[in-house]
Amino acid sequence: MPYLIVHEDKCIGCRTCEMVCSLSHEGVVNPDLSRIHVLGYKGEKFPIMCLQCEDAPCELVCPMEAIHMQGGIRIVDDEKCIRCKMCTLVCPIGGVLYDYINHQMIRCDLCGGDPQCVKYCPMNVIELVPDDAVPEARKRGVRILYGEAD
Amino acid sequence: MFGYAGKILFVDLSTRLIKTIPTDKYAADFLGGRGIATKIAYDLIPPDADALDPENVLVMMTGPLTGVAPSSSRIDIVSLSPVTNLLGGSSAGGDFGAALKFAGYDGIVITGRSKEPTCIRIIDDEVTFHDAEACWEYDVYDTVDCVKKLGREDVQVACIGKAGANLVKTAGISFSKRNLAARGGLGAVMGSKNLKAIAVAGTKGVKVRDTKRLMEVNFEIQKRIRESPAFKKYENWHANIALSLLKARRPYFGDYEEDYWEEAEEAVRNAKRFFEEMATLRPNSCFSCPLRCWAWVEYKDEEAPMVACQGTFPAILFILKIKDPELAWKVYLRLQREGMDIMGTAAVIAYASRLGLVKLGTEDILWLIDEIVNREGPGNVLAEGVKRASEHFGVPAVYVKGGMESWSSDVRPFRGVALAGAVSESGSISRAIHGFPASSYYTKPEKAKKVAREIVGDESAAEPTNYKGKAKLVAYFENEHIIADSLGVCDTPMLSIPLELWAEAFTAATGIEMSPEKLHFYAEKIRTLERMFNVRRGVNREEDTLSPRLFESVIRSGPWKGVKLDREKFERMKDEYYKLRGWDERGIPTEETLRKYELEW
Ligand code: SF4
Ligand code: SF4
Repeated sequence: MPYLIVHEDKCIGCRTCEMVCSLSHEGVVNPDLSRIHVLGYKGEKFPIMCLQCEDAPCELVCPMEAIHMQGGIRIVDDEKCIRCKMCTLVCPIGGVLYDYINHQMIRCDLCGGDPQCVKYCPMNVIELVPDDAVPEARKRGVRILYGEAD
Repeated sequence: MFGYAGKILFVDLSTRLIKTIPTDKYAADFLGGRGIATKIAYDLIPPDADALDPENVLVMMTGPLTGVAPSSSRIDIVSLSPVTNLLGGSSAGGDFGAALKFAGYDGIVITGRSKEPTCIRIIDDEVTFHDAEACWEYDVYDTVDCVKKLGREDVQVACIGKAGANLVKTAGISFSKRNLAARGGLGAVMGSKNLKAIAVAGTKGVKVRDTKRLMEVNFEIQKRIRESPAFKKYENWHANIALSLLKARRPYFGDYEEDYWEEAEEAVRNAKRFFEEMATLRPNSCFSCPLRCWAWVEYKDEEAPMVACQGTFPAILFILKIKDPELAWKVYLRLQREGMDIMGTAAVIAYASRLGLVKLGTEDILWLIDEIVNREGPGNVLAEGVKRASEHFGVPAVYVKGGMESWSSDVRPFRGVALAGAVSESGSISRAIHGFPASSYYTKPEKAKKVAREIVGDESAAEPTNYKGKAKLVAYFENEHIIADSLGVCDTPMLSIPLELWAEAFTAATGIEMSPEKLHFYAEKIRTLERMFNVRRGVNREEDTLSPRLFESVIRSGPWKGVKLDREKFERMKDEYYKLRGWDERGIPTEETLRKYELEW
């Protein structure tokens, strides 16, 4: 199953990803309804979205057992979900969101396999990789944080 | 409405009354952004008002593409300019325009004057006033931080620094800590209204008509921007822009001196080394733009976001003759923190050096900036801008229309730039000449000639000193700028992408059919209305001019040795330009022209 990984060092904070994510999912441009969010600190930018954890806190905390993995993507059963928003509290990275217009929980769904943020990001910051490539990507992340390994 | 947010917010500071009106009222006639802003300014500002009177109106308008298409982050600001006392206009990128639309407003119209210093906070439908007494003299950085503490960290902020509060005529309006609506002294208008800041955050978003089509056009536009040669160049633009201006023979030195500044190359090399080796840069972009024209710059223990594409750093090097990049960086920080128009203030300081008040290239510049910001000593006169200062001191200065400080290009050899500086209603050349073939004649001659051939039918029109064809080029590029400013698109990327695609993006976003021809028609109409605004204030042919010094001096050395601006040929360019615009020989729009664009006095 492929995953999204983020090369945040290349991000220029243009928020094109937020624009196309909300456009493609909701038919409006509204960064607050985008499933990807670009956080910024001075010049540094960090795009974040649901990373489909293995032992997902959101799934574990859900009192209604509404969240489950389906085809490699975590989905919420709208019928079961009572909108208590516990999942937004426990997600360590802010990957799950509440759509306050349509009143439902939303998160990255990999756009059914063709993620629009990957397609539109001008700097190729977001990449869709097969799961066996993830460890390599994480190591890369560590190298960025702590400098090149010898 | 699709594409548009649908409402315009009116805030009267005298009475604190707030209302909204539907954007529909103006959109079909004036498109958006600069077009609608000009219309509102025309309707609301009395022809005899003074720029710093409460009767002046400050209009900030986004365009229908702001926030929904690539490189469309712009917001246009129109008001009576305290520099020229004529129509003033400037625009800014960043994230403010998009945030305003997401909050549900296409624009904000500020009227009246607040009794006490105030700040307006807009969170969707909630518009509140906050006391700004304590932060009135804060610089831009502290103001932004202070406003963010009001409750939401993610607000976008438009504000003035101390210069604006002190009604300095080269004060701009800062958008967060980096983008500046620099020209025309609009920061002083905000200051005169006792308005320190406007903060906005929105959660509503913008509806579009045809999602699929808009996404396709956006993809195509973005792809072309990424494939254009400029895209690669922007990676190192901070280090290279001064060099490329020099190669294009575009800078001027000091107070428009006749002699070439021999140390310019050295200054440019030092600046290049500063950005490549001494400072660290983190490239960034405005909302929805792939270009990365600004970077977070860190050097020693100071840091600032710096926009490269505007050429502000080169202006500091060239106009202030600074060879030491550390000093240039300090000057940059000071001017940016105070929210000042860097070009304009640099021109004022260069003029002061002619008076012997300051020695260019030295730390004294920092002292003089403070004097201007605080209106102390000679700074009090210099704060009035170059034209009024020259009237006070009796030493002739250089300026363009209405007394506006010139742009960082010598206008004497660049005939088109000279014409634009004289006919442009705001005196702001940057609203007219971007994309001009003469600007790239020495760096990309083939391309420059091609553009001239396409527009004028004669490639010799690209040659800077040639008077021929310049009127048509000015009219054409003014139109393109008006289209960019009215749609909400940044002019740098806009000009490199065929207009058809922007028209298509407009159609997809709004559901209203659009074509390049129609866009040009809108531009001509808006241009005519801008003219009417100034004609109503007494402008005619006489005011469409430059300061006399520019016609009287001959360049003595450097690449433009021997060049001078010929007044007679200049007047002939004006005739040609008026004809193209449908104005009579006094520069007044004819009855026929008004009928054509359905405009009335
Ligand atoms: S929403 Fe957060 S906790 Fe849940 S799977 Fe995604 S990243 Fe993990
Ligand atoms: S589109 Fe790419 S570069 Fe732009 S903010 Fe998103 S991740 Fe960063």
